[in-house]
Amino acid sequence: MRITAKSAGAVAFAAASALALAACGGGGGGASEEAGEDNKPDKLTVAAWMDFPTELLDSFEEETGIEVVVNRFPDGASAQTVLRNGLSSDGAGLSDVHLVELDWWTEMMAVPEDWAELPEVPDRWVDWKVAQGSVDGTITGYGTDIGPLAIAFNQDMLAGTGLATDPESFGELIGGDDATWQTFLDAGRQYVATSDNYFVDSLTNAFQAAINLLPAAFEDPESGLPYDLAENAEVKDLFMMFADAAEDDISAGIAIGHADWGAGFQNKQWASVVTPAWMTGIIAENADGVDGWRIASTFPEGGGNWGGSFFAVPSTGPNTAWAIELADYLTTPDAAIDWFNETGQFPSQLEAMSAPEIAEAENPFFGDQRVGQIYGDLAAAAGDAAAGGYRGENFAGIQTLVTDGIRLVESDSATAEQAWESVVGEFDALGFETAD
Amino acid sequence: MSTRSAVPPDARRVGWGQRFSRWDIKVSPYLYVSPFFLLFAVFGAFPLLFNVVVAVHDWHRRAGMGDFVGLDNFTWVLRQPLFWRSLENTFSIFLWGAVPQLVLALLIAAVLDQNLRVRTFWRMSVLVPFVVMPVATAMIFGQVFGQFGLLVPHLQDLGLLTGSDSPFFQDRLLSHMAIGSMVVFRWTGYNALIFLAAMQAVPRELYEASTVDGAGRLRQFFSVTLPSIRPTMIFVTLTMTIGGLQIFDEVRLYDGGGTGGGKGGADNQWTTVVLYLYELGFGDWQDRLGQAAAVGWIFALIIVVFSLVNFLLTRSISSSRSRGPRVTRAQHRAAVARARAVAAGSAGPLAAGLPPAPADAPAVDADLQEGANR
Repeated sequence: MRITAKSAGAVAFAAASALALAACGGGGGGASEEAGEDNKPDKLTVAAWMDFPTELLDSFEEETGIEVVVNRFPDGASAQTVLRNGLSSDGAGLSDVHLVELDWWTEMMAVPEDWAELPEVPDRWVDWKVAQGSVDGTITGYGTDIGPLAIAFNQDMLAGTGLATDPESFGELIGGDDATWQTFLDAGRQYVATSDNYFVDSLTNAFQAAINLLPAAFEDPESGLPYDLAENAEVKDLFMMFADAAEDDISAGIAIGHADWGAGFQNKQWASVVTPAWMTGIIAENADGVDGWRIASTFPEGGGNWGGSFFAVPSTGPNTAWAIELADYLTTPDAAIDWFNETGQFPSQLEAMSAPEIAEAENPFFGDQRVGQIYGDLAAAAGDAAAGGYRGENFAGIQTLVTDGIRLVESDSATAEQAWESVVGEFDALGFETAD
Repeated sequence: MSTRSAVPPDARRVGWGQRFSRWDIKVSPYLYVSPFFLLFAVFGAFPLLFNVVVAVHDWHRRAGMGDFVGLDNFTWVLRQPLFWRSLENTFSIFLWGAVPQLVLALLIAAVLDQNLRVRTFWRMSVLVPFVVMPVATAMIFGQVFGQFGLLVPHLQDLGLLTGSDSPFFQDRLLSHMAIGSMVVFRWTGYNALIFLAAMQAVPRELYEASTVDGAGRLRQFFSVTLPSIRPTMIFVTLTMTIGGLQIFDEVRLYDGGGTGGGKGGADNQWTTVVLYLYELGFGDWQDRLGQAAAVGWIFALIIVVFSLVNFLLTRSISSSRSRGPRVTRAQHRAAVARARAVAAGSAGPLAAGLPPAPADAPAVDADLQEGANR
């Protein structure tokens, strides 16, 4: 009886998805076999680096009878390395479904045939998320979350300097509705003048957010070639603005991922962090026991986006048909709400964004603030600009190179001018053919 | 085997057996050693040679082999400031790891060579750090040297290193010392045991004789122990050089190695050549396998040259040390023997008639002569 019920459910599920497939129709011919009873595997593997909501995996197993095994990596960087090596060795060691971060999405999608084409799911995501997850009009990744940016700050520390006492006054401090990165950095200078700790953990997050807003930061969208960095005035201006602030010691120079980052929270080294939604859970974990952290609803330059991920299916896998089903299942609006509750990551799914489960959820670590609501508003305010500008194949590399220049100033190893010289020198040494 | 025992052996079978056993003698030694050489051929020699092919081509992870570029990859690498910086870092870290390690290992071995109680316990305990995974060592040391670690806040309370927040992650030299200390931690015990094994093989008579000659512990260490373990010294220095220059795990994980880390610091303060090679070929973005292969070859050459220099140095140092005392001691003994013979000769006519005492057994002769005189 139990088995029949299970398989009946699976048939219904398969039928429903077949319908969905049929409904989207005509979306390019590359789709492989359909998920059916005869090609159903016993288990599917998913590679990712955050905790999965267990109810999500359980319900998938209940519906389809497929056990989902999560290959969990300690951080995105290690998942990236494994994926990269797997792709360059014909899929060896890859999981059925891979979580891919926006920052290295372009690199992984360099050969589109590596990835199974995913059927379109109309009206599930914000448009720019679908655009990011597509290569030449073919969807290869189902969006999970987006990374709308906010600023987390510690109101007790700010109250100590008398500059701000709550999210509203902090918003005013960093420039209110007209906040720019310049006003944010100036607020930082004011803060460190009277405090005994730093204003922000690291300026690299903020710098990357600012770079992200440029329509074509490092590369020419026409030819895909990098611009000559020495002549790139837009980037240089931003670089100098942040490097000057770094020279004024407003940041501790310890970004997320650094071995000292967690200890920095515990030692109250900084009063604010540029925080994409997915980082809220990580901060709550690392700053556990430190009171006063809040999320401000004001963000420089009207908002921004850092990261956000996709589930994608390597085409070399043995179970691509069912893996696509799983990727679909893990990115439904309901699943997105489960993810939000588990890790705090903010959905890219339209229906979930406005769901009361997210907007009205109170976050005990951030003083029962409605964090989902704040990020929802910030994401709406940022709009399509959050998608960021043009990212060619060298975007991530050049961004790292330039960001390392900011780190250089933060660690007192160079002045702003010297750091820029060094960045340009390193860029030149790479010997790119540059766009005019 | 079973057929053989069932059927009585005839002449032909014996012939077969003999021929087989001749083959057995001739061929089987090679078969016994072949697993190593087969494995080496597949996983050692082939990649080594294939690396030449990669190094002279434009080569990418996903696209594979590209155009033949000759030595362009090599000249590209030699033009990179980061390559030279990483080379400096590698040698500096090597020195900070190797020199204290050698001195400490010799000291520990000399102490373990004494008559200690619960000897095995002491010998095993020096090996404990070696059992710890290098990754774990790197993570723990990274924490200790971190801004909020065990060390830095206390040093800064004492007014030391207050120039920067996290001196061991900002200052180039200090980061090299910190990484060198991981190498020392991990390898000292292992090398101490190798030295100990060599010291145990030094004939005890040499110590007895030198004690008779009035040498103290220190003099014995420098004049007897060190020259006697010379081959081991050379071996340890060579393996240490090759291993130490290839350091990777420790530098990769010194700063945690997570997002944005593992690259040897913002200013590449502690990027080593192997880490540079890894970043070029397999790192986040560059995807330059051809150039990475070229780095591999250039570095291999440098290691060969450096090891040779090291070998010659070690040999000359330990032999010059040994040559001096050894000659003196022989002369010393001969002189003592002669003196005693002369003394005995003047004391009695019997001794005077004896031939001159051979230099290699002076003490025994002297005893005999003394006995005869009594």
